[in-house]
Parts: sequence; C-alpha cells; structure tokens
Amino acid sequence: MYEFKNELTMSKSGFLFDHSSGQTYTLNPTGKLIFEKMQEGLDDEAILSTLIEEFEVEAHIARRDLEDFIRQLKEMGVI
Amino acid sequence: MGINVAVTGLHAADNPAPGIGVLRSLRYPNGWDGELIGLAYDTYDTGIYDRHLMNHAYLIPYPNQGKEQVFERIRAIHKAVGIDVLIPTLDSELQLYQQLESELKGLGIAMYLPSADTIQKRAKSKLLEFCKANDIETPKTIVINDPRQFGDALDEIGFPLYVKGVFYDAYACYTRDEALKQFEKLRLQWGLPALIQEAINGEEFDICAMGDDEGNLLGSIPMRKLRLTDKGKAWSAITLNNPRLTEFSKKTMKALSWRGPCELEILQESKSRKLYLLEINPRFPAWIFLGAGANQNLPKLAVELALGKRPEPLPPVSSGITFVRHATDLICPLEYIENLTINGELHFEKQKM
Repeated sequence: MYEFKNELTMSKSGFLFDHSSGQTYTLNPTGKLIFEKMQEGLDDEAILSTLIEEFEVEAHIARRDLEDFIRQLKEMGVI
Repeated sequence: MGINVAVTGLHAADNPAPGIGVLRSLRYPNGWDGELIGLAYDTYDTGIYDRHLMNHAYLIPYPNQGKEQVFERIRAIHKAVGIDVLIPTLDSELQLYQQLESELKGLGIAMYLPSADTIQKRAKSKLLEFCKANDIETPKTIVINDPRQFGDALDEIGFPLYVKGVFYDAYACYTRDEALKQFEKLRLQWGLPALIQEAINGEEFDICAMGDDEGNLLGSIPMRKLRLTDKGKAWSAITLNNPRLTEFSKKTMKALSWRGPCELEILQESKSRKLYLLEINPRFPAWIFLGAGANQNLPKLAVELALGKRPEPLPPVSSGITFVRHATDLICPLEYIENLTINGELHFEKQKM
C-alpha cells in the first residue's frame, strides 16, 4: 500500500498533476498502469501480476520497471 | 444602479502593472454593472487604449507631485463620472492613498487598504524582526545602512546570497566581486538601505491573499510560476491546492492583521520542506486575473469590502488553472492620443463592460 503525500490527479492520457506543488508529469503506459494500481491500494506483488499479465513481460523485467518507477516517485516527493 | 470603480496601474509592457488584471477580474465573467474608470500617469500607459477594458480613462498626476494635486484631480474626475470605489494597485501610490483615505471618503470614494502601521511591519528592512516575533521562518537578512557594514555582512551570511534593494530588485551572487558590483548598482539607483539575504535552495510559490479588518483570510490564490521573463516576472503560472501554503498565509495575515490585498512570496526549502516568507507586496499582483478563473475573484471581493459589506470567505481555489501572458497590439484612431494629450482623458462609446 502506498500513501501519496499530495493530492494527485491523473488524466486518461497519463498526464499527472500534483495539486500541491503544481508539478506535472507524463506517464508512459507502464507508469500509468502502476499508478492506477497504487491508487487502488494494491501491493507490489499484485501490481507485478497485473504488469506481467497486461504487458506480457517476464517477471524480472516487470519488477525492474516497478522498482524504477517507485524510486522516481520517491525522488519527486510524491510518495 | 451599478458601482463605479476607478483603478490605477495600467501600464502593461515588459513589467505589467496590476491594474489591467484588476479591471479584467471585475468584468469577469459577465461584465460589470457600473462604470470602470482607468487612472493613468502617462499618455502612453498601454491599458488606457483598450476600449473593452474601461468606460473612461483619465490621466492623473504622479504621487510625487503631492497629495493636493492628486486629490484635486480625483475630485474633478469624481465630479465628472462619479467614483464609488478606488483601487490603487502600485506600491509607489500606497502611502499617498493612505494619506488621502479620509478626504476621499468625504467625497464618497471608498478604498480598502492595509494600515500604514501594517505596511511598515512588512517592509523588507523590518521583515526579519516581524517574522522572529511571530514564529515565522524567513531567510537570514542583514540591513545595510552604511557601506562599511557590507564586508562583515557578506562574511556573516556566506555565499551564495542575495543583494536586494529595499523596494525593488534582487540579485543572486556567488562571489564577493559579484556582490560588490550589484551592491554599488543598487546603491546608485535606489540609495541605502540595501539588504544582504541568505540564499536558500528551494522552490518559490506566490499567494495573492485578501484579508478583512482583523486579518482573517477571505480568499487566496496560491500559485507556482511556470515561466519567467528575464526580469523574473511570471508569464505563466498554475494554481495550487496546498493546505500548508494556505495555513502559512493565514498565520502571516493574522499576525499582521492585514486588511486588503497582498502578494506573499514564499519559499519551500528543498530538503526540509520548511516554508520561508520572502516578501509581502502590499497590493494585487499583475497576475491577479488568474484568480478569476480559479474561483477566487479577489478584486470583486475588494469592492464589496470597500463598500462596507462583510462577505463570507470564498470557497477553496480551483487548482490546476493556468495563465499564459500573451502580448497583443491595440489599433487606435489618432483621436485617442489627441484626447489624452489635450484633455488628459478618453471616453469610450457606451458599452456593457
């Protein structure tokens, strides 16, 4: 479960707006799916399963993408 | 019967004055039920050529020509068109209009301004003292009244730092040579005091806020600048919903018992996320029209307050609303310049504002 520090809104196209800082981010389809699942309250393992199923990728690639995305969100101060 | 509002600060070139944004806010979204009157200082103040912005434009004397001259001119304008509310929008006018407040009230012209005492407390040279007394963070600042203090001040603050004028301009400096050069430039242009201020690494936010008689926050527009001109002025910005910024503004306004509009410049330190108060400008900012699109029409609130009404605080700001400043050309007949040059006034055809 991830807790978001600020109010965030994502559009259908994956354009993310942080209402507190005014920062905007453009998410690719992988980032968009991970973010949606985070908002739904899924844990890492559940998000990984979704990624593997949705994008038909191997587990280690999905895990790398997820970890990389989480690292970026932390660096941006979003989670 | 509509309310007639006169607004100053109508020159919008590379460093736009706030009057244009105030007039546009009053007219937003469905026009203004009354007459809008532009008060300008120069025939070529750009805003007075915009016939869609106001019903009448008048030239008035500069504040340094004395309060009697300004008062007489406003009295004559009032006699001609009737002014219910006057909104001065420039820093350089504030003191004069505070002095004229009761005389203008006597004519039936209302204003809603911060008190002279409040203005003093937030002066750049006094801000540190005010912040210390009210548990508000602000960057360490030394006021230089004598050039001999300059070297010690640099040692005490350390680099990087800002060299700031007491009213205008701020320069980021990374070396002693750079600091000295900017200090001399400011000293020649504006005189002393000047300020040496600690440079804190972080992100800057601006808030336009409106306080009532007790300094309660009636409305506010927090924003982050997206694009800057080479003078550091915003030409694009986005509104925020940031509870920490709003709380910080409430605390500051209350501590000052701020009455009327102001612009707070706030810095969030990168690592600690601590908020620092950089400056308080005692007027609407040039980007005030952004608020009209974000559920926070503060100029309309200012008119209500000036008329003695006690409006409820506005609902929360809509976040994610953006403005982009866009320069355009106005085409005008020769009569516009003729009327302003010969008569010092310009009247546009009757239209719903």
